[in-house]
Amino acid sequence: MSTATMTMRRNQNLSRSQSEIKLGPASSGFVIVAIIALLALLYLNAITKTSEFGYQVTKLQQQQTQAVAQNQELQVEAARLTSIQQIQNSGAAKALVPTTQVTYAK
Amino acid sequence: MPAAPDITAHRRLLWLYVMLAVMGVLVVGRLAYLQIFEHQHYQKLASGEQQRKYEVPADRGQIYLLDNGTKVPLALNQTLKILYADPSIISDKAGTAAKLATITGDPASQYLDALTKGKEYAFLKGRVDDATAARITALHLHGIGMVNEDYRTYPEGSLASQVLGFVNDNGDGQYGIEGYLNRELKGSPGQLNARTDTNGVPIATSDNINKAAVPGSDVVLTLDRNIQAEAETDIQSGVQAAKATSGSILVLDPNTGAIKAMANYPSYDPNNYSKVTNYHTFSNQVTSDAFEPGSGFKVITMAAGIDLGKVTPDTTYTDTGCIDVTSTKICNFDNKNDGSNTTMTTVLRDSLNTGVVFVLRMLGTDPNAIKNVGKQALYGYITGHFAFGKLTGIEQAGEESGVVNAPPSNDVNYANMTFGQGLSVTMLQMADAFAAIANGGKLYKPYLVDRQIKPDGTQTITQPLITNPHVISPQTSQQMAAMMQVVVQHGTGYLAYTPGYEIAGKTGTAEIPNPTGLGYLPDANIGTFTGFAPANAPKFVVMVRINRPTIGGDAEKTTVPVFAELTRWLFQYYAIPPSS
Repeated sequence: MSTATMTMRRNQNLSRSQSEIKLGPASSGFVIVAIIALLALLYLNAITKTSEFGYQVTKLQQQQTQAVAQNQELQVEAARLTSIQQIQNSGAAKALVPTTQVTYAK
Repeated sequence: MPAAPDITAHRRLLWLYVMLAVMGVLVVGRLAYLQIFEHQHYQKLASGEQQRKYEVPADRGQIYLLDNGTKVPLALNQTLKILYADPSIISDKAGTAAKLATITGDPASQYLDALTKGKEYAFLKGRVDDATAARITALHLHGIGMVNEDYRTYPEGSLASQVLGFVNDNGDGQYGIEGYLNRELKGSPGQLNARTDTNGVPIATSDNINKAAVPGSDVVLTLDRNIQAEAETDIQSGVQAAKATSGSILVLDPNTGAIKAMANYPSYDPNNYSKVTNYHTFSNQVTSDAFEPGSGFKVITMAAGIDLGKVTPDTTYTDTGCIDVTSTKICNFDNKNDGSNTTMTTVLRDSLNTGVVFVLRMLGTDPNAIKNVGKQALYGYITGHFAFGKLTGIEQAGEESGVVNAPPSNDVNYANMTFGQGLSVTMLQMADAFAAIANGGKLYKPYLVDRQIKPDGTQTITQPLITNPHVISPQTSQQMAAMMQVVVQHGTGYLAYTPGYEIAGKTGTAEIPNPTGLGYLPDANIGTFTGFAPANAPKFVVMVRINRPTIGGDAEKTTVPVFAELTRWLFQYYAIPPSS
């Protein structure tokens, strides 16, 4: 086989297919602007969502604070209702009589 | 012939390009200056607008006491509201005041006064609860507002108030446990450096710096709620019955040093501490008011004499009613004498001043004179063994150590010290010393904090601490207990005698030093009774003090009935059966 034939065979699959889409300078510019706009939109969306979550977190924190305050108030109320002064002033306590004679089991 | 190029237009266009280029360079240069070289300055300005720093207050630790071993809240936190007004925009001040008064129950004149005096801000009321706040909001009153405020709340009211103390408007504890353990209770405030919206409301963003607040530790006291309440009732009754100015009471566990009750009368409600006009009421007199203890101190002198083997309960001397010390005559409180063969047991039973001066002389091994070695020995027992003149370390703000003069002090001073004059002690020191006599000779560090609970749940439990294991020997302890039982059975403590129970104790009626000059105040005294029971296996030490009683009789008529009342109640509370 001659060298020329070998060269032909070696190169026979090297034909390139040319792209059908051709972008001119204006189209390229438009695509770039569109991509930038899309990215900006995504960024804005992400920021807005973050802010929205931020507000939700703030709202939940406020609810938590309110719940803690309510819990505190209930604790205080419960403590007040079971305080020794309340017990001493209760009708049941007033009806009690002091023990005078105590007998211890041996 | 082709037209010649318009040189002027071309030049103008060139100039325009140059001008635009220069302007472009200027704009870019300015931008670079602002954004690169002045970056930090403008970032700071922007941050100032968008970011704010907040101090996040830490939750104050809560305080509990015990009720038969169960925790009961004594100091809690509560978020309430402050009611305020902007009087400058309220046209109908009288009407507004009247409407507020119908809801809060306060006098309308109080609000009207505040609205008239205030300009742009007037404080109307603190501690407004949510229900009241909702009713006020529903009125839609112009110029009236409310803001949240954290408050310390004491649900038990005045119970143990002087032990507790209170929290002032700056959030700092004052007096008592609140003052002494302020750092532990207060915790550390947090910080929030956050971006805010246009209204200044923080927005949760990733670049917020949030340093969480560390809440304070909870504190559980050794006080028993039931004993505390009973002690407060008894001391109030005692002070009123004796027509005295004030009084105090203390219950201590002699086997651990734990305080079970500590109370003073008059007392106050820490929820309304600002209404107290006499600041002395805030002090816990049990720990912060050193006084001359009087005859109760004879027990200490006698314990020193017996422990050193210089006297025994049966040692005798001749009581002549008065005794000469240098050029000063020291007499028994009633100027009577018990004659010859008066035993040391009788000295305590009849509270003989001459008898304890005799003990001081015996400490110096000379029954006829006070020697330096005797003074040294007594001083050693008072300050070294029983730790008078030193702080006990109790968890209370403002503890006093009292004063005990060292031996260079003259013989008269030392003779007086043997029966509790010429030195000062606190009630806590006295009760702790009696606890050592009661328990076989071990001096415990008295304590009020049973445990501290950190926010992560870890607990620091206070272990009883013996500060001196050999104050006196167990044999001396037994002998002293027996002598003090005689005081209750046949002596000045007879009103505390309870059939079937072994109670040991000693009265004390002390004169009050004249605060403006030499000598003592006429017709004024401080009565005390300190005792323990059951004498052979003590469960509690009780000390009662009543200041300036105006009814006749000494401590035996003023303090002993209070001691008896509480002691009999304690026998039932602890379910201690009679021994015979």
